[in-house]
Amino acid sequence: MVTRSRPRSTRLLVIALVSVSLAIITLDYREGDAGPLAEAGRWAQTAMAPLQQAVSTVTRPVGDFFSGLAHLPSLERDNADLRNQVADLQTQIAGAGDIQDRLRTLEDLLGLKRTLDPAGIPAVVIGNGVSNFEWTITISAGSDDGVAVGQPVVAGSATSPRLVGRVVTVTPVSADVQLLIDQNFAVAGRLSTTRATGLVRGRGEQDPSMDGIPQDTQIALNGVQPVQVFTVSYEINGQQGRYPPGILIGEVSSVIQSTNALETAVTLRPAVDFSALEYVLVYKTDQSQGGSTG
Amino acid sequence: MIRRIVAIAAVVVTALLLQSTVFGQLRLLGVRPELLYLVTIAIALLEGPNEGATVGFASGLAQDFLMNQPKGLTALTLTLLGYSVGMFRQFIVSPSPLVPTIVVAVGTAAGVAFYEVVSVLLGNFHEQAAYAVRVALLTALYNAVLTPILYPVLRRITEGSRPRRVVRF
Repeated sequence: MVTRSRPRSTRLLVIALVSVSLAIITLDYREGDAGPLAEAGRWAQTAMAPLQQAVSTVTRPVGDFFSGLAHLPSLERDNADLRNQVADLQTQIAGAGDIQDRLRTLEDLLGLKRTLDPAGIPAVVIGNGVSNFEWTITISAGSDDGVAVGQPVVAGSATSPRLVGRVVTVTPVSADVQLLIDQNFAVAGRLSTTRATGLVRGRGEQDPSMDGIPQDTQIALNGVQPVQVFTVSYEINGQQGRYPPGILIGEVSSVIQSTNALETAVTLRPAVDFSALEYVLVYKTDQSQGGSTG
Repeated sequence: MIRRIVAIAAVVVTALLLQSTVFGQLRLLGVRPELLYLVTIAIALLEGPNEGATVGFASGLAQDFLMNQPKGLTALTLTLLGYSVGMFRQFIVSPSPLVPTIVVAVGTAAGVAFYEVVSVLLGNFHEQAAYAVRVALLTALYNAVLTPILYPVLRRITEGSRPRRVVRF
């Protein structure tokens, strides 16, 4: 009797748990971000954030050490490339000083206002997404600090920001940021050399792509200057884009051969090394004006 | 009983913390381990289908709440994984210490593949098939590498928190 009833009770338990799981999936689909499950998720993330921060603080040196070991073969080559780039940039800076002075004077004269200067909220990266199928990070700033869903997140300095991604979930003490390499990420970009625009999309482990570039655009990958891609401002029906213009997204790494006669596409090497990301800045843009992509 | 629940909850929270911090940086060819799959399989092997399914459901739900994916998907996957491994253990007769490693590797690959298939059916999976296969295999390999380190720890925790039987004459 005992041997027969135990498997039956186990089967009943599994059927009940599977039914509850299916009910949760259905409810989550129906309710979306406004439902009780999303609220429970935010509560769980709020509870986990301080623990993640503590563990990150303690274990980051260990992770950096092993991460550095993995990148060791490419470090020497990167070092030589960077030395060459520094020499080139120093030459350019020497020549650009005069041009910048003239530009500043002209801007003052015309009364131009810089659009790329929104207030920023600094934050520390305290965690990564737990799944292999989403590319997100958790940061230490939340709604208590003024972070809201949709705000752009950058790394680097305020004068040369590099795009990290955008805020997708906010709790009072933390926020989840969808990285630009995530499959569901898209942002409007502009090539630095030709000013042609296109749509940059994340592709997970592969380099992001930028499509929708006019077919006749000349993209010279072997030139002295690297072809970089920046965010671009736009306005549709009175709604401004989500990202301020001029944020560096990445550098064109290859041109994708397309059969489409109207447009071409390229792949980008992101400007941010996501495996070594430690500090970020959240731009306090007005999200009521934000478009759907960027 | 409460001591056991607290012990397993601590294991699940620790696994989630490690996965979202340390193992976010320590990737094997771009892939991180699935520690909760490992925990579920290990507990199912040690304690049977009942506890395997329950721990799988609870730990899967905990992981779902930290993801921006449909909630309930990991809970469904780990419930079935815990139950299947727990039922399978009655057929294991070999005392080899390699058995947990092999079961974890096969179970993880099967679990990740199941998760991917259900995600495709829900229209929530946009990766290429080659990437999906690569993730399933590398995750299984990573979990297998971690098993000899983590399985003895999990066994000690589950055995240490097991309710003591009192025999009265």
